[in-house]
Amino acid sequence: MSTKRWVSLLAGLGMVLLLGIAPEIFSAFMIQFLINLFMMAILAESWNLIGGFTGYASFGNAAFFGIGAYTTGVLLTRAAFPFAVALPAGGILAMLFGVAVGMPVLRLKGQYFAIATLGIGETMREVVYNMEITGAGTGLVMPILRTPLTFFYVMLAILAAATLVNWWVSESRFGYGLIAIREDEDAAAAMGINTPYYKTIAFALSAAFAGLAGGVYAYWITFIDPNAVFRMTTTIQMIIMAVFGGSGTVLGPLLGALVLSSVSELLATQLATLGELFYGLIIILVVLFMPKGLSDLIRQRVFSLKYFARNLREYRI
Amino acid sequence: MLILQVLINGILLGGLYGIMAMGMSLIYGVMRIVNITHGALIMLGAYITFWTFTLWGWDPFLSLPVTILLLFLYGYLLQRFILNLIVRAQMYLTLLITFGIEVVMVNLARILWSSDLRQVTPSYTAANFSVAGLTIPYVRLWVFVTTIMLSVLFLLLLERTRLGRAIRATAEELRAARLTGIPVGHVYAVTFGLGAALAGAAGAMWGMLFPMTPIMGRPLTLKSFVVAVLGGLGTMMGPIVGGVALGLAESFTSTFIGPTYPNAISFGLLVLILIFRPTGVLGRRER
Repeated sequence: MSTKRWVSLLAGLGMVLLLGIAPEIFSAFMIQFLINLFMMAILAESWNLIGGFTGYASFGNAAFFGIGAYTTGVLLTRAAFPFAVALPAGGILAMLFGVAVGMPVLRLKGQYFAIATLGIGETMREVVYNMEITGAGTGLVMPILRTPLTFFYVMLAILAAATLVNWWVSESRFGYGLIAIREDEDAAAAMGINTPYYKTIAFALSAAFAGLAGGVYAYWITFIDPNAVFRMTTTIQMIIMAVFGGSGTVLGPLLGALVLSSVSELLATQLATLGELFYGLIIILVVLFMPKGLSDLIRQRVFSLKYFARNLREYRI
Repeated sequence: MLILQVLINGILLGGLYGIMAMGMSLIYGVMRIVNITHGALIMLGAYITFWTFTLWGWDPFLSLPVTILLLFLYGYLLQRFILNLIVRAQMYLTLLITFGIEVVMVNLARILWSSDLRQVTPSYTAANFSVAGLTIPYVRLWVFVTTIMLSVLFLLLLERTRLGRAIRATAEELRAARLTGIPVGHVYAVTFGLGAALAGAAGAMWGMLFPMTPIMGRPLTLKSFVVAVLGGLGTMMGPIVGGVALGLAESFTSTFIGPTYPNAISFGLLVLILIFRPTGVLGRRER
């Protein structure tokens, strides 16, 4: 590992520490904003594991978020479990679900995988909608936690873990395996990489982090219903944050989450639909002008229109 | 008798699913784009019909040509000026950009037309007739007849005309088509326009049968895809077969199992088909 890597790792740790003392400095509103930002960054990093490094663009990751939220929610309300147990349970269940659906679905390629995951996301909402234990369509009301800073620290810790896992993937033999799968799956298999195993692990890790984020979200927001946690918008957000920042990189998704959730927060205070409209427009512009993301733009160090023009020309007919 | 009635309901709805999926299958077959915008195009068709009906009192069946024409133009421009710029990129990028266009369309519709439930209700909405104890609503029957007519017209266009040959040639081999002088950018745009027109027609008729909202298209995008995959993505007769199959599956399950899981069933079906027979019932092998 190069010195540059160590420096960025130390910088990351410093950042975490700095954010750790943030509650002393910032207002309550800012804290809420940061919690949301951390959550978005976790989701972007989680999507990055399967969509960015492995090249399997999942369009149903909101399912894992929802499963985490509901598992934690049900354990907190129906069984009065402590949060410290309910939260990991949400992550673990989401992960198991990821393994269970991943094994068949990861055999599909390209657009078939994308659509199958899209279907899973929509189906999960309907299933939860019809379940007694989840409160069906009416949703679940959580107990109120008196120390809101707990969410700040827990979210931050999960984000740090998610980033570390992404960093480990970018540096390890396992991660090189995933990248090999993304570049050419048949060649990867021929080189002796156990592709089904690698893909399933990546999918499960992705699911686990999305599930953990969902678990914290449920307790933080205090009310969940199927439409709120199994939203296609959640999936859109994770994908576009990762792609905007630079999918398949460690810091790209963080950058994407930071930029996009700040702007969309500003717009959403005007009108909720504007926030979504903005995401749609950003998706279109990013795909056309900078499909490799912000991190590529920064790495190229060419801040000229030529960069965008080249991207625009690259894939046109 | 009940079984026969359920069978008829399923087939009548299946025609509509078929025409929805036809557009999706065409766009995928020619350009390899998984068109997430499809449901939003269906929504647009439904709203155009609603407004021409509400504002000017146009009969929804008679306004169909207008809806089809408008959607064709919209689809043409969308492909010509946006999607053609990205059409050769990796699948997930084309999928993502149609996703983005869908989000923009849906939210513009929300702002312009609000999220209220609306429906096109001409005077004959509830009329029906009985044959041998079976009840057949006029609207559903006419919708079915119209979908069959439209799909026949569409197939004739593809099989018998110069334009159809150009589209098929472009789908077959892009470079060779370009070398023989086919304006492929234009052909791509026409193809997308045709797909959008079919979606718009489906939306116009959907609005006569069910209430519409700006987000009505999201499950319909998935359904269109299910149907297209069921019949075989990229084939032209497949969607009709797939549409009737899905219509029957939904109508039987909602009668005999319960109406709570219609979407779950179609998506469950999708995942199973994708795993066991990814080329669909009438499909050919991936190139």
